[in-house]
Amino acid sequence: MNTASSPSSVARADAPRSSGSAGPRLDGPVPDVTLPLRFVLFGIFSLVSGIVMLVARPDLLAAYHYNQHIVAITHVFVLGFLLSIVSGAMYQLVPIVLETPLHSERLARWHFVVHVVSVTGMVAMFWVWNMKQLGHFGSGLALGAALFSWNIIRTLLRVRGWTVVSFGIASVLFWLGSVVIAGLALAAAKSTYELNESSGVNPLLAATLNGLRAAQSFLARFEPLAVMHSHAHLGVLGVFILVTCTIAYRLVPMFVIGEMQNPRRAWTSLWLINAGTAATFLAVLNQSPLKPVAGLISASGLLLYGLELHAIIRNRRRKTLDWGIRMFLTSQSLLGVLVLLGLGLSRPGIPLTPFSGQLETTYGFLAILGVAGLAILGMLYKIVPFLVWFAAYSRQIGRTRTPALHEMYSTRLQILGGGSWLAGLAVTIAGILASHPACIRAGTLLLAASLVTFAFNIARILGHLVHPQLQPIAPRVPASGGPLRTTT
Amino acid sequence: MNPNPTEPSPTTPPPSESALWEALRSVIDPEIGLNLVDLGLIYDLHIEGGQVRVTMTVTTPGCPMVQSLTFGVETAVLAVEGVDGVLVDVVHEPPWNPDMILPEARAAAGIR
Repeated sequence: MNTASSPSSVARADAPRSSGSAGPRLDGPVPDVTLPLRFVLFGIFSLVSGIVMLVARPDLLAAYHYNQHIVAITHVFVLGFLLSIVSGAMYQLVPIVLETPLHSERLARWHFVVHVVSVTGMVAMFWVWNMKQLGHFGSGLALGAALFSWNIIRTLLRVRGWTVVSFGIASVLFWLGSVVIAGLALAAAKSTYELNESSGVNPLLAATLNGLRAAQSFLARFEPLAVMHSHAHLGVLGVFILVTCTIAYRLVPMFVIGEMQNPRRAWTSLWLINAGTAATFLAVLNQSPLKPVAGLISASGLLLYGLELHAIIRNRRRKTLDWGIRMFLTSQSLLGVLVLLGLGLSRPGIPLTPFSGQLETTYGFLAILGVAGLAILGMLYKIVPFLVWFAAYSRQIGRTRTPALHEMYSTRLQILGGGSWLAGLAVTIAGILASHPACIRAGTLLLAASLVTFAFNIARILGHLVHPQLQPIAPRVPASGGPLRTTT
Repeated sequence: MNPNPTEPSPTTPPPSESALWEALRSVIDPEIGLNLVDLGLIYDLHIEGGQVRVTMTVTTPGCPMVQSLTFGVETAVLAVEGVDGVLVDVVHEPPWNPDMILPEARAAAGIR
């Protein structure tokens, strides 16, 4: 047997062993669970905040989306909800996937502080449309993204050779950097600069201002709406959809007991999504007639991803899919609808009418809360129970009976929540297309109801940290058959 | 207790093999809900006096549960009478596959 690269552990009967749930950490690549958990909880808080804002102001989705409040709420979802959870999940999963410890947990904790302050400030400044302060908070977000990227890149560099997953993660980091720079440039372009050069100017400040003015004059060449839409595509396609595909290639086979069916297809899908992201960004920015070509490149990558995911599911060994995976797969089906809508909207010469404007809003809403949002809600039912189980029970395993992950929450509530989320998406989209605020409010209330069920389940899962459910190990009849080998 | 874990205790009888297997059956994979023995994750059990060496694997390289499971194996084995020390080796060769699950357990867990 090959043990060359495998961990081994030695324990003695007379060595002290913690029995408390808050005992010393287990050695290994997994970071302290409080690190990903804090990102996840901030992400859930942001999701709830965003939905509450939509319930309170359904009129915002009933009109064209180019206004400060919709931009603010969009950033609650993409930065507060999606990016927070993606960051937390990456801190948890990258060391596991790559089988190497995170470069620095301390940096990750600083990232969290910077991220929360920056996102909160950015949303507030979008709401009041203060571009100068937005730029300051946006710079904070960029600092957080840099800390995150540095940490993950240093972790990636410890691993020899590239896998499809490490390639996907590196790609996501590249697009994350790109979308943050694009966002800062957007804020710079919308600001005004005054400098009293007669009173002696700090050279660093002067250089910074010159850079900001240069960004402003460069972006002035493009149509403002096209700049915003290209920035949005970088974030949604290059970061959130790409990270979903990458993580799915690793986690879905693990959860359904299966394996990747065609690595070449998986590699090609990620290359095409990367190429499609670059092409879409440039085509949308330049309002190019080649937008459909860029869209087709992205669509072909996503089609290959869908085929691979389908093959993994078809060849799985676990007969029944749990509801977390079903929610995730449903979100990936919605990705197909999103691609078709995107291709339709990419056709050149579509006039900007109230209805085509609402189709664009639908496209963004479906991407953020339909595809990425539902995918994350599904995966949270896998990630949060694991994090809490690890904190509450990892030192009890083998000593007492510990609950299975699916026993830590109510499956009935989970199904109810998944169903009401889908119903909420459908009703809200109908309201958006009809520009009907009452219908939008009904839909967002369904989304809020879904979040209530989700909150109950999350509270129930977190309750295991306070009241672990331990039972004595019951004597059992051994199954027939047996181990591979026993030597004495 | 034997102060030197590399030598068998002169006074304590060696642990019973069946007791060790039974103890290992108390370690449950929380994602799949099966114990490690029925899952086929325990490859080898070597007993030398009071020293036990467990060679095991996980369902996938990079399994997030690996630390918990090895800790559980250590805890369960150390609780068996006569065990002075335990060494747990995690290996990835041969790679685990679902065919290694005991047939009855496979049916109970809904795995084909």
